[in-house]
Amino acid sequence: MLSFLNARQSGLDDPVRLRRAESTRRVLSLELNHNRDVARVHGNGINTLDIEVIDGRYMLSGGSDGVIVIYDLENNSKKLQYSCKTVCTVGRSSRHVHKFSVETVQWYPHDTGMFVSSSFDKTMKVWDTETLKPAEEFQFDGNVYCHHMSPVARKHSLIAVGTKDPKVQLCDLKSGSRIHILQGHRGEILSVRWSPRYEHILATASTDSRVRVWDVRRASGSLFTLDQHNGDKSKASSEAVNTAHNGRANGLCFTADGLHLLTTGTDDRMRLWNSATGENTLVNYGKVVNESRKGLKFTVSRDCSPEFVFVPCGTSVAVYGLHSGELITMLRGHYNNVDCCEFHPDYQELYSGGKDCNILAWVPVLRQPDIEDEETNSKRGGTQAAVNPAFEDAWSSDEG
Amino acid sequence: MDQTMRDKLSQLVEELTTSGEPQLNQDKMKEVKKMCKLSNDYIDHFYHLIMTQLNQEHAEIRLSAFQMLSEIFSRSHHFRGLLITHFQEFLELTVETDAEQPLPPPKEVARKLRTLAIQTVQSWHATYGEAYKKLSLGYHFLKQIKKVDFHDVEARTLAERKRQEEKQKRLERIYKERLDKAKQEMAEMTTGIEETLTEMNNCIKLLATDDLNLFNEEAEVANSSSGAEDRSDRPCGSKDLSNEQNGKMSEKRSDEGQADESSDESDTGDVPDVNVFLRSTGLMSYKYQLELDVCTDLQVRETEENEALVNTVRDLHRLVTTRHLPLVQSWVQVFTKVGVEEELMRRATGLKRSLELALSKHEDLHIDYKHRERRVMRAAEDGEDSEEDFVDVPEKEGYEPHVPEHLRAEYGLDETPSTSASEVKAQPARPVVKRPVPLVSASLSRLQRKRSDEEQDPTCAAATLRVLRQRLDPAPSTSVSGSAVSSSGQQGVSEEKASVEPPVVPFGLDLYYWGEEQPTAGKIIKHTSQHQFWVPHEVEEEVENKELSAEMKSRYITFAGKFKPVEHKCKAPMPDGSLCERQDRAKCPFHGRIIPRDELGRPVNPEDALRLEKEKWKRQEQQPDWRDPELMRDIEAATGEDLGSSRTYGKGKKGGKGKRRKYPNLTDLKQNANTSRARLEKKVFNKSSMRRVTEVMNKMDKRKHDKFANQFNYALN
Repeated sequence: MLSFLNARQSGLDDPVRLRRAESTRRVLSLELNHNRDVARVHGNGINTLDIEVIDGRYMLSGGSDGVIVIYDLENNSKKLQYSCKTVCTVGRSSRHVHKFSVETVQWYPHDTGMFVSSSFDKTMKVWDTETLKPAEEFQFDGNVYCHHMSPVARKHSLIAVGTKDPKVQLCDLKSGSRIHILQGHRGEILSVRWSPRYEHILATASTDSRVRVWDVRRASGSLFTLDQHNGDKSKASSEAVNTAHNGRANGLCFTADGLHLLTTGTDDRMRLWNSATGENTLVNYGKVVNESRKGLKFTVSRDCSPEFVFVPCGTSVAVYGLHSGELITMLRGHYNNVDCCEFHPDYQELYSGGKDCNILAWVPVLRQPDIEDEETNSKRGGTQAAVNPAFEDAWSSDEG
Repeated sequence: MDQTMRDKLSQLVEELTTSGEPQLNQDKMKEVKKMCKLSNDYIDHFYHLIMTQLNQEHAEIRLSAFQMLSEIFSRSHHFRGLLITHFQEFLELTVETDAEQPLPPPKEVARKLRTLAIQTVQSWHATYGEAYKKLSLGYHFLKQIKKVDFHDVEARTLAERKRQEEKQKRLERIYKERLDKAKQEMAEMTTGIEETLTEMNNCIKLLATDDLNLFNEEAEVANSSSGAEDRSDRPCGSKDLSNEQNGKMSEKRSDEGQADESSDESDTGDVPDVNVFLRSTGLMSYKYQLELDVCTDLQVRETEENEALVNTVRDLHRLVTTRHLPLVQSWVQVFTKVGVEEELMRRATGLKRSLELALSKHEDLHIDYKHRERRVMRAAEDGEDSEEDFVDVPEKEGYEPHVPEHLRAEYGLDETPSTSASEVKAQPARPVVKRPVPLVSASLSRLQRKRSDEEQDPTCAAATLRVLRQRLDPAPSTSVSGSAVSSSGQQGVSEEKASVEPPVVPFGLDLYYWGEEQPTAGKIIKHTSQHQFWVPHEVEEEVENKELSAEMKSRYITFAGKFKPVEHKCKAPMPDGSLCERQDRAKCPFHGRIIPRDELGRPVNPEDALRLEKEKWKRQEQQPDWRDPELMRDIEAATGEDLGSSRTYGKGKKGGKGKRRKYPNLTDLKQNANTSRARLEKKVFNKSSMRRVTEVMNKMDKRKHDKFANQFNYALN
């Protein structure tokens, strides 16, 4: 650490380097601890989480009971211990609440005054954060599995919506109407994602085990379909041609730079693709248990030197090296299946929500105080002593 | 880490977890703790061992493992860390958080395990919840998601509650169905029942020559059970006795003295106008007692006039007892069980009460139905006059224990019932030969009484004997007659002579040719043809038939032997201390060959004793399955009673049962499967019997095919 600081001071290093090293260290030391709690509001499983990118302060969560909650993540109390409070809730008593399970929530990428939620009650609602009333409501024919707004779009304000219908719907926020459909899939659309690099590029994953990449300006069809065998016909059986997975493809995630695309499927595999060419990079992540019938929300780290993937895996969250495919750790803490996780890029914190109604905050462990700064040491001593007895062994003397 | 230590730890863990005891062995546990204290490596190993044991499908193993684990949990931080990381799995295995993964049997132990686990988690949370985030998360998970009530003594989990709810729901549904059915039935049947009731009441009213209006009144004052009796007890002075009743009742004037004793207090109210009353009635004093006997139990005799009425009452009575009353009772039962609205309940109970009332009234009538059946029969065959000649004989069914003295002869019984089974009676035609009774001691008379009692019992051997005797005696004695035996020695010469009366035998060919030599005996003679010009080719004139000739000269007399009643008893000692009472001739079905035994049931002959001992051993060796010695020992330990498991069963069960169970102390889960059903299944569904059955069925099929092969639908399949 000191050497990094030194190098940074003397200008030997690129400023990014220190930051990367530190954030990587922090990610690697993620753990469940008492310093951070998230208020327990949901009375049912949590399907989706989203942290806004402007301040990195507010987090949205949507539950299977149709409730949407906004949390304040920022700790202003100047204490280590902090419990995230709820700012506001669209509870069951609200007139506008979703009737059925909320599947996806997303902040409007450029302003916290608005967010979008979609649900199994076949609607997608655009909410005004201030009044907590829907400003706009889109009706669909089938359950809405997912939607996504492009985080980088300047020229359009399209929301891609995946429903039970095999056609991907594009809704325009400007006009408040469904303006376009993308045809090509043959099953329910479980996940849609805009590229964080090009505003017109969209990836969709479906139960027909295919993942398609679209340019929404092109009307004729998808740009390409991801093929797990990279076009090698001999390996694939006739019906498995151009499939990304052998089961349902139910999760999509672009890397922060948008150069790569991660997909998960119910064949318990996760694959990393080159998002420009659609080539399977053949990184082997091993078995990633995935039994979800709906979309799976997973995330990647940002600004770390080797990047990491956080993917729900049964009752725990698995952390993989993005390019190495190496399983780094399993974050165990949930008592039931984990459905979603969200990475906080500023503080390298991870939030995960599961069917056990808990939102758990995984916070980096603080660096052990160095010997030099005795001042802090003595201050910490108090807290340490308070905690320590529980950590100590209690062998009785007669057992020696 | 030392390999031997490691092995020892594994062994200790296995021993402790498979002990099957509710509490851990403290010494062994101390040793485990000592090892775990040495280093974290041992704790790691211990953790893995414990988790494998927790995964075993046996609640006792899990309970013991859990107890060990909680001991170490409170001591080692390292172990706490390990366990809490996999706390979810732990909860699934001990608290049954996953409904699809219920705790394994035996049930009681599983319940105990869960209660203990919940309590322990709570105490852990209190102590370590601060330090271990996941522990407190788990606690909240149990509390809020799984709705475990930590104060609930039963400590029921959500899954269990759900199961119970489902059961409750099912029961409710069944009850509701029943209720609906009962309601419907009630709606349909009520009018019918009421009609029957009124009909019956009217019939009874007509039948009972009800001058006293007793029954009507009873019906009105339904709750006063016996109004008539009350009335009959009233003293003479009471004025509300109407005159006409007085006239009809038999009036008795009791003795003066008696009347004195029972002077009446109730009449004190009349004291002022005593004289007036006395004068007007002409009685000398008040001290009379008037006793009225109202015969409440009427005897209704069936006569020509009321035959129709009686018939109806009888039918109605049968209808009510067999159909209506049970039906109404079932309704009431259903209603009380389900808890139905009051109105319905009241109606049902009202119906029941009135039905019962009608029945009791019917009882009071004492209708004499005796002749009915016969009469009905006769009425049916009335056309034939000849039937009239038959004398009515009271009906009887089968065996009659008592036969009146004057009918005995008619029944073919001897005049006096025999008292001793061994005594053989002479034929009834001859004068009764009575054996001189030898010294009737008290004990003997009791024995005789017992015998005669036994004779009355149709299930007893003595009764059979008697029947046999009756059958034997009238038959002509073809043999030299048993009377000779009975009269051996003690009887006089005259009687002996009488007994050597020539035997009567049926007449036969042999008697016909008695003492003659017949030339043609047994020869079949075919006469030569008498025909004039047609002669058979060759005729054998004489054919000798051996059988026939033998029949001519000899005679078969069937010698059946003489029935000799069994006088000995089996006398084998029974488990309850008595001796076997069976009287079989040669072999007791329970105790085998009958051998002479002393009064304690021990065999008299030493070789018999030896043989019995040997058989006993052999029997013990092939103990039936259900008497698993281990199970018996368990039961004995639990009840403190000796069931005989301590007896060594054979010299090591050979063959199939030889394989010893791995952990003898654990409750055997498979033992539960050993039900009567399972045993039957083993018999019925075993391979060879199945094969046999299919073979037979195939054969039957084949036969059909052979028979109807030319019909297309048999030919096809």
